[in-house]
Amino acid sequence: MTPRTPTQGSTREEPLLEVENLRTSFPTDRGDVTAVDGISFGVDTGEIFGIVGESGSGKSVTALSILGLAADGEVEADAIRFRGEELSTREMSAVRGGEISMIFQDPMSSLNPVMTVGEQIAEVVRHHGEVGESTGILSELRRKYVTGTSDSSRSWQRAVELLDTVGIPDPEQRANEYPHQLSGGMKQRVMIAQALAGDPSLIIADEPTTALDVTIEAQILNELFELRDEFGVSIVLITHDLAVVRETCDRVAVMYAGELMETARTETLFDEPTHPYTKGLLRSIPRVDDDREWLNAIDGTVPDPFNRPSGCPFRDRCDAAFELCSEPLDRYDATGTDHEVRCHLQHDAVDIDDGEPVVEGSLHSRLDGTETEPLDERSGVVEPGGERQ
Amino acid sequence: MGLKRYVAKRVAHAAVVIYIVATVVFFAVRAIPGDPARVLLGGDANADAIAALREDMGLNQPLYVQYLRWLGDLVRGDFGQSVFNDQPVLDMLLGVAEPTASIAALGMVIAILIALPAGIVSSVKRYQWEDYVATAVSFVGISMPGFWIGIVLLLVFSARLGLVPAFGYVSISEGIVPWFKHIILPAIAVGLPYGGILMRMTRSSMMDVLNEDYMRTARAKGLSNRLVLFKHGLQNALIPIITIAGILLGVLLGGVVAVEVVFGIQGLGRLLIASIERRDFPVIQGAVIIISFIFVAMNLLVDILYTSINPRIKYGGGE
Ligand code: SF4
Repeated sequence: MTPRTPTQGSTREEPLLEVENLRTSFPTDRGDVTAVDGISFGVDTGEIFGIVGESGSGKSVTALSILGLAADGEVEADAIRFRGEELSTREMSAVRGGEISMIFQDPMSSLNPVMTVGEQIAEVVRHHGEVGESTGILSELRRKYVTGTSDSSRSWQRAVELLDTVGIPDPEQRANEYPHQLSGGMKQRVMIAQALAGDPSLIIADEPTTALDVTIEAQILNELFELRDEFGVSIVLITHDLAVVRETCDRVAVMYAGELMETARTETLFDEPTHPYTKGLLRSIPRVDDDREWLNAIDGTVPDPFNRPSGCPFRDRCDAAFELCSEPLDRYDATGTDHEVRCHLQHDAVDIDDGEPVVEGSLHSRLDGTETEPLDERSGVVEPGGERQ
Repeated sequence: MGLKRYVAKRVAHAAVVIYIVATVVFFAVRAIPGDPARVLLGGDANADAIAALREDMGLNQPLYVQYLRWLGDLVRGDFGQSVFNDQPVLDMLLGVAEPTASIAALGMVIAILIALPAGIVSSVKRYQWEDYVATAVSFVGISMPGFWIGIVLLLVFSARLGLVPAFGYVSISEGIVPWFKHIILPAIAVGLPYGGILMRMTRSSMMDVLNEDYMRTARAKGLSNRLVLFKHGLQNALIPIITIAGILLGVLLGGVVAVEVVFGIQGLGRLLIASIERRDFPVIQGAVIIISFIFVAMNLLVDILYTSINPRIKYGGGE
């Protein structure tokens, strides 16, 4: 076992969604790629929880893994709990689209081009609500290919209502239109209506505004805000945009190379960033009129997914890296409550002396004893708690 | 554009296509070496008799006069008379159209019944045994010409097992069962090559669709796998399949001509081949016009079908 400062019991009440040690890997010809590497977090009722990271950091895969939608991925987790109860894969597929729904990144390609938007919403109402309309495959196929969805059916009326809720003008008429007849912003509103149709308590929104222009982005984010206020839904907002996080999220987790580096309340994260990666990010937030990818500001590149270094994945790019950093990472509590940091600088036995990290004697000698194994044979994925897979 | 205007426009378009085909055929048959009068009277007929017959058939007139006269008749629905047996061409053609149409239609149904389910299974179970079996069968279909499949079927099901008659055709008006028994083997022979290609198309089209974002959305809604596949996937997958199916109709019709010969069925294809041998110009022309008419009409149907399953396209193309 590696040194560990146990995370203190949270003062918050039981989270709505709790993810423990989620791991997702994708088998490829060159071997397995670990996309998500042992992440844990909780989302409270009525909270907007941000997961921020650059593309390829595993944030979208995280969302898909939770919902059981990571196509070829092998997903493992110690637990995924919803309302305190652990969900099996089967239970998750029943909850999916209803209690937990998802908004995808690109509304242009995420809506079915050959179905009216009304029906795309109404089918969710039928499957997850109680409108007394059959959802058997034959009834559904008849509706799709023969009769169409009746305008007077409750599911359809609910769909029209939802279009109205998300701010689409002329909802009766719009419901009969196909996605290509709507603008990008309207399509994303349809996605939101679709996500609302099953009366969710949690919506996972994966880059919901990335494909939209800036004015529409603000409207859509506002829409999400209002949903939280009106219906008390929790939202997991996945984004690469720190500005969006700052404006919308209550808490935020910073993801890098498949791991959550720092999790904190949004103000805490922006005011007292603790992880070297977070600090680097905040230094590189571009001005509003600057379109640069914000990550370029940190030198170096993300680790090769086929050959991940042991220990901290940020090691090669970190200014503060020191001897302990090749050891498996652990979670540490930083200042204040609800602030977790995965960086060895936070270890109790590490002191900062003259700007340089110093490892206390006892730990140091113990480490020396374990350092006999050559580094390059230790490429295995390392879990919190120190066990190598 | 509404459906009616669209159809009207397409029919006008089709008329132009058929006119062009007819004109090309008119001049092409006259370029075939061999004088019809000589063929008709036999090699050792005397020159006077041949000259008289040529006069009689209008072959002595300048080509443009022959052409205009023929065209004028055609517009009035008169396809002329066979130089071989003096029968009206239209009657001859209509008399043999039924077997050809029957084989083509049943062949198409068989192709679709094989191609769609096999293609879908293949795409869903890709790189598993179901996929390999379906792929193997489709390659057999693609790589063997229809007439060859016909001969093999004949040997097995007629000659050896005696299940169905080997030759000839019975009109549907004399009973569905005998009709079906006569055309089932020829229909399989034309349907397999066509179905093989269609199955590969279905497989690749469905595989593309399975990777689409909207399929993931459908799964995220908590719909069952079958519902995701058949409600959200199928129609999208059919869009390119229908286009290809239309283009490949020529393959199907070509197959029917060859298969009629194998099964000794007196259809459009055999009549066409016999007429070419006899230099029976009016019949050749009529047969080609009818075949191109069928081809154009079926393509029109395919286009209407395509437009009706793809809401992104309005009739007549364009967004
Ligand atoms: S663990 Fe080491 S390398 Fe990683 S962020 Fe902390 S100091 Fe930098």
